[in-house]
Amino acid sequence: MSERASPEAAQVLTRRAFARMVAAAGAAIAFAPHEILLSETMPSHNEAIVSFHMDRPYLDRSGTAIPYYPPAGARSAQFAAQLSEEEFRRSYVYA
Amino acid sequence: MVDFSNQPTMKGFFAPTRFEADVYDCEVIGKVPTELNGAFVRLGGDWLYPPKFEDDSPFSMDGYINMFRFKNGIVDYKGRWVKTPRYKADRAAHKQLFGKYRNPFTDDPSVKGLDRSVQNTTPLAFAGKLFTLKEDSLPYEIDCNTLETVGPYNFHGKYKSLTFTAHPKIDPVTGEMICYGYEAEGLETNDVFLYTINKKGEVTRELRFKVPYVSMVHDISITKNYVIIPIFGFVSSMERLKEGKVHWGWDDTKPAMVAIVPRDGEAKDIRWFKGPSRATVHTLNAREEGNKVIFEAPIYDSNPFPFFPPIDGSKWDPTKAKAYIRRQTFNMNSKDDGFTEEKLFEMNVSDLGRVDDRYLTMPYRYAFTAYGDKQRPFDEWKAGNLGGRVNNCYGRFDLATGKMNSFFAGDTHSLQEVCFVPRKNGAEGEGYVMGMASNYAEMRSELIIADAQRLEEGHVARVILPFRATAQVHGRWFDESELPFA
Repeated sequence: MSERASPEAAQVLTRRAFARMVAAAGAAIAFAPHEILLSETMPSHNEAIVSFHMDRPYLDRSGTAIPYYPPAGARSAQFAAQLSEEEFRRSYVYA
Repeated sequence: MVDFSNQPTMKGFFAPTRFEADVYDCEVIGKVPTELNGAFVRLGGDWLYPPKFEDDSPFSMDGYINMFRFKNGIVDYKGRWVKTPRYKADRAAHKQLFGKYRNPFTDDPSVKGLDRSVQNTTPLAFAGKLFTLKEDSLPYEIDCNTLETVGPYNFHGKYKSLTFTAHPKIDPVTGEMICYGYEAEGLETNDVFLYTINKKGEVTRELRFKVPYVSMVHDISITKNYVIIPIFGFVSSMERLKEGKVHWGWDDTKPAMVAIVPRDGEAKDIRWFKGPSRATVHTLNAREEGNKVIFEAPIYDSNPFPFFPPIDGSKWDPTKAKAYIRRQTFNMNSKDDGFTEEKLFEMNVSDLGRVDDRYLTMPYRYAFTAYGDKQRPFDEWKAGNLGGRVNNCYGRFDLATGKMNSFFAGDTHSLQEVCFVPRKNGAEGEGYVMGMASNYAEMRSELIIADAQRLEEGHVARVILPFRATAQVHGRWFDESELPFA
């Protein structure tokens, strides 16, 4: 199961703010004692995934490495951003 | 097990829907004009099961027919699969048994010889019956009230071609349907059978002739005395099919060829004209002026379909896959096989254009089609980034003045093919434009109705579906007098 940031946090955290936090956190981690990074509070197979929806970050700490996908009903054309014109029209010539 | 998770383009709004639906008394924004009594019928495709091959064409999607039934300002929706033998075989096997587009050599051996049509292109109402059309097979009759599939139809055994076009034309003066089949005697045959069918549904004339090379013959136009039949660079061969390829490849060396066929003539009377490489997939209208035949259509510069790739191994070129409204003029007194061509509007448009069908064969003024206006806003925050690939406007193109009027669908919407619904006894262009919009923010489809003479004022009504409708190829309005609606 993915774990979302709390609604309160999501209201104040933008992508830009989160990026600044990550930079600060990265510096902290670099200087943190090794045993803190291996805390039992974190999953043993620790591959935290950060994903965004509506410009809000979600941190998956489940260790399953599955990013959060936005719910149906919003930004439903977003997946097409990564497709080339050829890739898109191969499937949706009359979309 | 049905698994679409490894289909990279079947995500988000574009994921298969796969269900049948009834929605009674649909939600409406605005007010549906009470003068609209009949049905807007859409035909297109959805994948019942994932395609067998990654490089197959979307034209292999299973046929899905859906109808907005209008009655006294109330609209009901109904959607059903077109239940062909192919659909039934796949359902029984719980998987896709059929291979690439119009290539039976790529099918599972268990379905050898079965009708492999998917009936996903155009709805037709004619002689009191509702049909689905797909150019690789006979029409399928559909019950206009239940949308259940009746089966293939051959006009009392008098229609002999094995195939039937997705774009027959109905002469508004005589009520006759001019229709045809190509590859009429089977795969890769160069035969075209051209028919006239009277308004009772009786075949009154058949003309058989051959095309210079086997090519897509997707749409035609008619005048009072002629049938205009364009063919262009899509080529095919039995060798190609045995190599396991999709039916069509693009040959850039092939000229665009246009047959002008006398409606009452013989094969020997056909004139073939040649022009530069083009792709005329859909047409608008044609007429005669003296000894000239004037033909207009949204014509592509080159191959519009990347899934029918160039046969020389070169890459498909998206910059040439643009359609412009063009006029081609054929001098029936000329001694050579050339014709003239003009670009009537400089903007590229959707090639799914329509006219007021009451003016087919005649001089006319207005053409309607969708287009993408990049100056209009698109809200990527709500809808997602579609990379500018939206048709956000319907245009009314005035062929007399060169002016264009525009309907804007909204900043999270993209429009499918436009349909023009004439007002009874109204002048040309008087009536409504109608068409389906994809709302990428709300993950739903909306049927747009706008006054064709006041497009800038926005919609008159939007009929809201609480889900995504299946992808459409063509949609048609059928007045309640055309079909035995309950």
